[in-house]
Amino acid sequence: MSDPLSKAATAADIARAVAGGAVKAGDVVDAALKRIAAAEPTVNAFTDIVAERATKRAAEIDAGKVKGPLAGVPFAVKNLFDIEGLPTRAGSKINNDGPKARRDGALVRRLEEAGAILVGGLNMGEYAYDFTGENAHYGPSRNPHDPTRMTGGSSGGSGAAVAAGEVPLALGSDTNGSIRVPSSLCGLFGLKPTYGRLSRAGSFPFVDAFDHLGPLARSAEDLALSFDAMQGWDPEDPVCTDRDIEPTVPTLHDGIDGLKIAIAGDYFARGGEPECFEAVATVAGALGATRTIVLPNAAAARAAAYVITAMEGGQLHLPRLRTRPQDFDPDTRERLMAGNLLPGSWYVKAQRFRRQYRAEVLKLFDEVDIVLAPATPCSAPRLGQVMMTIGGAELPVRANFGLFTQPISFIGLPVVAVPTRKPGAMPIGVQVIARPYGETAALRVAAFLEKQGICVSTPA
Amino acid sequence: MPDENKPDVARWVDEGARAIGLTIAPEYRANVIVNVERSLAIVQPLLSVELDDDLTPLPVYRP
Repeated sequence: MSDPLSKAATAADIARAVAGGAVKAGDVVDAALKRIAAAEPTVNAFTDIVAERATKRAAEIDAGKVKGPLAGVPFAVKNLFDIEGLPTRAGSKINNDGPKARRDGALVRRLEEAGAILVGGLNMGEYAYDFTGENAHYGPSRNPHDPTRMTGGSSGGSGAAVAAGEVPLALGSDTNGSIRVPSSLCGLFGLKPTYGRLSRAGSFPFVDAFDHLGPLARSAEDLALSFDAMQGWDPEDPVCTDRDIEPTVPTLHDGIDGLKIAIAGDYFARGGEPECFEAVATVAGALGATRTIVLPNAAAARAAAYVITAMEGGQLHLPRLRTRPQDFDPDTRERLMAGNLLPGSWYVKAQRFRRQYRAEVLKLFDEVDIVLAPATPCSAPRLGQVMMTIGGAELPVRANFGLFTQPISFIGLPVVAVPTRKPGAMPIGVQVIARPYGETAALRVAAFLEKQGICVSTPA
Repeated sequence: MPDENKPDVARWVDEGARAIGLTIAPEYRANVIVNVERSLAIVQPLLSVELDDDLTPLPVYRP
């Protein structure tokens, strides 16, 4: 267990220390605010810091007014989550001119009901249409493990804040990979839950068909603790499931006995740099996984996800593209404009194909419980890098960094991104993919890998 | 020799933008064209899939 006032402390470390009276929540928040002040000039993770609110909340916890499994744990949220009294930027200049949120987003409220303490809003790629973590308005979030490199996005500030040890826990969103990509590049554990599992109420949308919210942290236990605190039906999000809450903490350390684990082959075994496949091989080796399975038509799934994203996202922003085009991030604007010009038949076919692909992939889960795949085709590119070399081909970073994440979120499967890192190299993640509502199994695998020392996340 | 099957993406962008009332400033136009061309390339694996007639989209709308 780490010193609860240090940057290495996990949410669980802090919660245990606060609950046991070893440390005051006020001291934990003070220490976090000091770390944020020290790290921000380098990592640029935060766009808003709510120090007064956090200090007040910590005092309530120290007075015994709020208890819960996360009591005293500082956290921050991607700035597409509503924070009462602040405009919900969603990485944009335009929204920052808009009205202030009248209450916190649903997941912020749920974490605070569990005792966690919000300390601020986090940088992100504009309107979440991003895999880099760069932002023309607020500057790029920078990778704490090498500030000349990208955090990945679009939850770039979430990745940077946790990897820098500013906070132990952050929330992000993932439409095509925006939790899993920064988790991979920043060396973190990240959970993209099953589509509809966590409420999206009080967050700024991007692509309704694929938008998910979830946590990034430095341990599997922190993912489980926060996920359990955030579960539950919410009538304010029409796609939020009314299934019973399925707590993941009680079985987290049950190990992997009984889980059938396979490696995704074919599409997921090409189109990346050797390091991403080596990471999968390392994780598979530790899990004793030797079987390879093929997710049929994964390339078409990626194409369909791309088209639905471009068209839903483009249409959402059409009014602003008409009235304030000059106020968009140039890297977002023309992609959103293009999305409005694609044929409707592509969209309908993509949605029809989604049903077929879902059925085919779910059939695979009759035979296996977990599928392993790379999270990103390579480790963190340099800031400002536009093109990357993958398997000998020159490809644009922005359009291709989600090659391995898009075919999974396309059908809403739950995924835990787990970190690997070779000595002297940048981190790179692996996707631990489960059947729908199988977060418990994916988190068990992540906890096992962490316990074995295969997947470890340490702050920069 | 021009490929007759290849769409004229510049014209597609200009006419499509006109049809939906989107003004694309000259300094943005080239990159919009690049992005439509990129989408055209990326969508090909989807367009090559054949779907049965009874394969309807998964509804999420609940009346």
